[in-house]
Amino acid sequence: MAETKVVLVTGVAGYWGAKVAAQLVANPGFHVLGIDQEKLEQEIKGLDFIQADIRNPLLGELLKSEGVDTVCHLATIESAQPNEAAFDFNIMGTAKVFGACAQAGVKKIVTKSTTAVYGAHPTNSAFLREEHPLKGSTTYGYTRDMIEIEAFCNGFRLQVPDILLTVLRFPSIVGPTADTPMTRFLKEPLIPVLLGFDPMMQVIHEDDVTGALVNAIVNDVPGIFNVAAEGVVPLSKLIALAGKIPLPVFHLFAYWGASFLGSSKMKSLSSIPIELDYIRYAWVGDIARMRDEMQFMPHYTAEEALREFAGYQRMSIYKTDSANLAYDEERLRDTIERRRRAAERKPTVTGENEPEMEGVFDE
Amino acid sequence: MSDEPKRILCMALTQSGNPCKKYALLGSDYCGVHEKAHNGSHREQTGEEPPAGTTDEVPDEEMRHSLMKELDELLERVRSLAPDYTPPPFSAHRLMELVEKNIQKFSPELRLGILEKLRGSINSDLLDIDTWKGIWYMLNYTLEYQGEIIKRRMTGEYETDEWGLDMEYLNTIRPFFDFMYTKYWRVETTGIENIPENGRTMLVVNHSGQLPWDGSMVAMAVMREHPSQRLVRTLFATWFPTLPFFSEMFVKCGQVLATEDNGIRLLEQDELVAVYPEGYKGVGKLFKERYHLARFGRGGFIKMALKTRSPIIPVSVVGAEETYVSLTKSPSMAKLTGFPYFPLSPTFPWLGLIGFIPIPTKWYIDFGEPVAMDCYEDEAANDLMLVSQLTDQVRNIVQEMIYKRLSMRRSVVFG
Repeated sequence: MAETKVVLVTGVAGYWGAKVAAQLVANPGFHVLGIDQEKLEQEIKGLDFIQADIRNPLLGELLKSEGVDTVCHLATIESAQPNEAAFDFNIMGTAKVFGACAQAGVKKIVTKSTTAVYGAHPTNSAFLREEHPLKGSTTYGYTRDMIEIEAFCNGFRLQVPDILLTVLRFPSIVGPTADTPMTRFLKEPLIPVLLGFDPMMQVIHEDDVTGALVNAIVNDVPGIFNVAAEGVVPLSKLIALAGKIPLPVFHLFAYWGASFLGSSKMKSLSSIPIELDYIRYAWVGDIARMRDEMQFMPHYTAEEALREFAGYQRMSIYKTDSANLAYDEERLRDTIERRRRAAERKPTVTGENEPEMEGVFDE
Repeated sequence: MSDEPKRILCMALTQSGNPCKKYALLGSDYCGVHEKAHNGSHREQTGEEPPAGTTDEVPDEEMRHSLMKELDELLERVRSLAPDYTPPPFSAHRLMELVEKNIQKFSPELRLGILEKLRGSINSDLLDIDTWKGIWYMLNYTLEYQGEIIKRRMTGEYETDEWGLDMEYLNTIRPFFDFMYTKYWRVETTGIENIPENGRTMLVVNHSGQLPWDGSMVAMAVMREHPSQRLVRTLFATWFPTLPFFSEMFVKCGQVLATEDNGIRLLEQDELVAVYPEGYKGVGKLFKERYHLARFGRGGFIKMALKTRSPIIPVSVVGAEETYVSLTKSPSMAKLTGFPYFPLSPTFPWLGLIGFIPIPTKWYIDFGEPVAMDCYEDEAANDLMLVSQLTDQVRNIVQEMIYKRLSMRRSVVFG
C-alpha cells in the first residue's frame, strides 16, 4: 500500500459528502478529490476540490486524467415531494456518474441508500434481508428515487461486473448535526404517533454513517448491506429515549388528515416528515451481513445514539455558545462503554489495511 | 314478588334540609346514602363496638398466627426483590397519612371496606405494632415501585428484546389471561412434559373459535404448567399488524408475524414456536364444521421445522370451537369491513360488543408426543412430496387427538 489511491467524492458540498471527505483526507493512503456544483460551505484541508456538475459529459475524462480508483457517490437531493428536478439530478446524475466510471476504468463505487426502500408493510418479516423486494413508498420523493437508483445499480452490477459496487442501506439517521426525516420528526416536544401501533424501529448515529461509508472505501466489500446500530426499539421507546412525549392519533383520522393536507398542497402543515405507514409497520433491516461479511460494527448502539441526540436537543433550547455537556454523566458513561467495546473489537478484525484505519476511526 | 314487605321512605334529612325521597333499605330506617352516616355517628356517640359483620373476625389465636405468617412471607418476598430498600421511619401518624393519600385510588365501595376493616382491627387489637410496621413497609414499597415504573417508562429505560417482547407489559396484562385460563374456561392440560426444558421446539395447534383466544390459552398453559415456564412465540396472521392495539399487544407479548424468515430465526434462537397452520380457514370455521380440521396451509411450518431440525409437538385444543356459535359468514360484510371473514352468530353483530363475550365452555389442551424432524437430509425442505406427506401426517395426529378428547368429553360446559 505504498502508493496513494485517488478517491473522488461526489456531492462534497453536501452534508454527507463533506463529512466523508473530511475523514478521508486524514488518511495518508488517499488523495481525495471532491466534486460538486456548489462551492464548499467550509473548507476541508487537504481536499482537492473541483466545482462541476456531475451530469457533465466530460466527467469520464476527468476521472481518467486524475486516475481515480474509487468513487464515493453521495450527490443526491433529499426531497419529500416527488419532483422532476430532483428525479433528474438523482437518477440521471447517478446513471451518468456510473457510466463515466465504467468508461474511465474506475475500480470501485460506494453509494448510500436507505432501508426505507423495503417499504413499511404489515407482511414484513421482523428482519428484512438485503434480497427482500423493494416495495417502498412511491409518494415520498427520496424513497422513490432510491428505489429507482437501486434498480439501476442491480442492472449495472450485471453489465459491468469488473467494478466493485457497494450499496449501503441506512435506516433513520439521528445525531446532533444531521438534518434527516427522523431528526425532523423528533424535533417538536409532542410527537404524533398512531394510536395502538408501536412498530419496532431501527436507527443509526450520523458518525456511524460516515464510518460505514469510509469503511467501504478502505476495504473491498462489494454488495448491498443494511447498516444499522445494534438494537431494535419500539417507536414508543425511541420517542421516550429522545426525551419527547408521544401524541397518539387514531390512524384513520391521521390518514384522512394526511391525504387532505397532501391534496390541498399546504406543505407547511403536513409536517410529519415520515410517512404514516413508516410509523405504523416495522421496516427493520437484518444486519447479519454487515457484521459477518463487511465486518463493520457501528460504534453507537441504538439507545446510545438516541440518548446522545436527546442530550443535544435538551441543550439546544438554551442560548449557549457551546453545548455544555460537562455534567452529562450518562453521555460520558455511554462514551466510555463505546470506546471499551471498540477496543475489544479491534484485535478480531483481520485485514491488511488495519493500520490505516486507525486514523480513520479516531473521533 | 308480591310477598315483598311494603317499603318505607328514608327517615333522614338531606343536606338542604328536606326529607329524603329514597326508599329505605330493608331492615333499616334509612336509605343507602344515609344509612352509613347515621349508623356511623350513632356508633361514635355511644362508643359501641363495631356491629355484627366484624364479630366473626374477632381474634382467635390460630388465625392470628396464620395472618402473621402470611405477612412475614410477603415481607420476605419483597425484601428479596429489593434488598437495598429501607422505608422511611415508621409512625402511626405517617401511616394514616399514607392511607389517606392513596385511598383515593380505590373505588368508593372498596374505600369504605378498607377503612372499616382498619378501624375494626384497631378496636379489636388484632395486630400488634410489628405487624403495623410490616404493613407500612409494604405500602411504601409498592408506592415507590409503581412510581419508579412510571418514571422509567417515560424516559425509555426499559428493556425489549429484538422481537419487541416487553416483560413488564406482559406481566401487567397477564392476570386477565390467568383469570380466563383458571376461572372462565377452567383449562385442563395434559402432556406438558412433552415440551423440552429448553431448545428449539414447534407446537402445531388446531385453530378455532372466531377470535384467537386459543393462542393465548396455549401460551398460558405452557407459562403456568411447564416447569421452566417457557414463553410461547405464536406466529400470527398478517391481518393483525393492520389492527390498532392488537398489533401493539401481540408484539409486546413476544408474538411474531408468521413468515418463514421469522419462524426460522426464532427456532435458530432455540425458542418455543407455536403455529396454527389452519389460519383463517380454521379460526373462522362454522359451528357445524367444528372439530373438522381445515387444510394445514401450504406446509410452510414443516419447511421451518425441517430447515432448523426442530421437533414438532402436535397440540389439540378442545372447547374453543364452542366459544362462539358462527352460523354463517357474510362475504359482503367481510369486504366492507376489511375483515378476512365476518361471522354471523346469534349474538354477533346484532348485540354489538355483547357479541364478543365468549361462552364459558370447558377447555382441554393436550400436548402430544414429539415428532422428530432431524432424521431427514439437509435438502429435505425442498422435497415437496416429503413436505406434503409430513404436513398430512401431523394434521392426522392432531385430528386423532381431538377425536380422542371429544370421545371422553361428556358436556361442553362442564367437561
